[in-house]
Amino acid sequence: MAKRGRLEIIRDLLLILRENHFGIKFTPLLRKTNLSSARFSEYFEEIKSKDFIEEKIMEDQKRYFITDKGQRFLEKYQTISDFISEFEL
Amino acid sequence: MGPPMFEGMMGNGFGLEVLYSFVIILVSLMIYFSTKELYELSSYKGIKYFRLSFLFFAIAYFVRSFIKFVMFYFSLGDVRSFHQDIFFGLITLALFSYFSSMAIFYLVESVLYKKFNGKMLYVFHVVAIIIAFSVLFFISPRVILTINVLLLASVFTAYYFSRKEKGKNSLSVIYGLLALFFTANFIDTILPDLFRGLQLWIYLVSISIFLTILYKVLRKVGAS
Repeated sequence: MAKRGRLEIIRDLLLILRENHFGIKFTPLLRKTNLSSARFSEYFEEIKSKDFIEEKIMEDQKRYFITDKGQRFLEKYQTISDFISEFEL
Repeated sequence: MGPPMFEGMMGNGFGLEVLYSFVIILVSLMIYFSTKELYELSSYKGIKYFRLSFLFFAIAYFVRSFIKFVMFYFSLGDVRSFHQDIFFGLITLALFSYFSSMAIFYLVESVLYKKFNGKMLYVFHVVAIIIAFSVLFFISPRVILTINVLLLASVFTAYYFSRKEKGKNSLSVIYGLLALFFTANFIDTILPDLFRGLQLWIYLVSISIFLTILYKVLRKVGAS
């Protein structure tokens, strides 16, 4: 399997979050991404700082949800990917 | 009716210059703004440099129209008179040189930044500044031209060699033509008499190249 690029990993992370309508806890999210802890933390911090995800406390536990901006990224992912490929960026 | 001096300038080809610059600036800014959301969402460096390239093209053409205005207004044949008569004109020429070099460099960087890990950008800035200063110190248009043409030729040779494994495609041709006609525009700005009679063709081809890139961008970006 080819190594995933940065944008692909972000897309996969957001897709997992989108599938979980009631939010997802940190550890199951890490497990589902198939990334090492260090790499996961790096991408997790990035999507958090870009407001693609939000954190909510439910039953005394932190759960993560995709935001509208995160949804917008998923909508635009194919366009971004096509644009990069078209202009060899 | 405007003042006689202004009317004389418009009849003397300045109107064409204004229209040409306006179209290129508009197209460049359309490329810059239509890719804004893609960059904001992705933070992808290639998109960042691609956008900056067209922002710098817009600024370079804006400065170029100012130079043309000064040359038409004072009926100057070439840039040597800038040094003798109008020092701010020389500063403008240095700015034009910097922005136009950086526009080309950003375009090259957008394609090659992964190969050089983004380190070439610092070199590009330094080279662009050196070129801009060379405009201030070497007043000879031929020296300025030689430096710029050699520079652009070396940058694009590096570009083609570094990506030769990918083979030729339409993008290489478009970028090649863009560099070629941008150099022609640069020469035309410094030595307007050199291309007298060919200017209209240079302008038409240049506009066609920019419109082709805009079309490719809008086709991908869509209505966003």
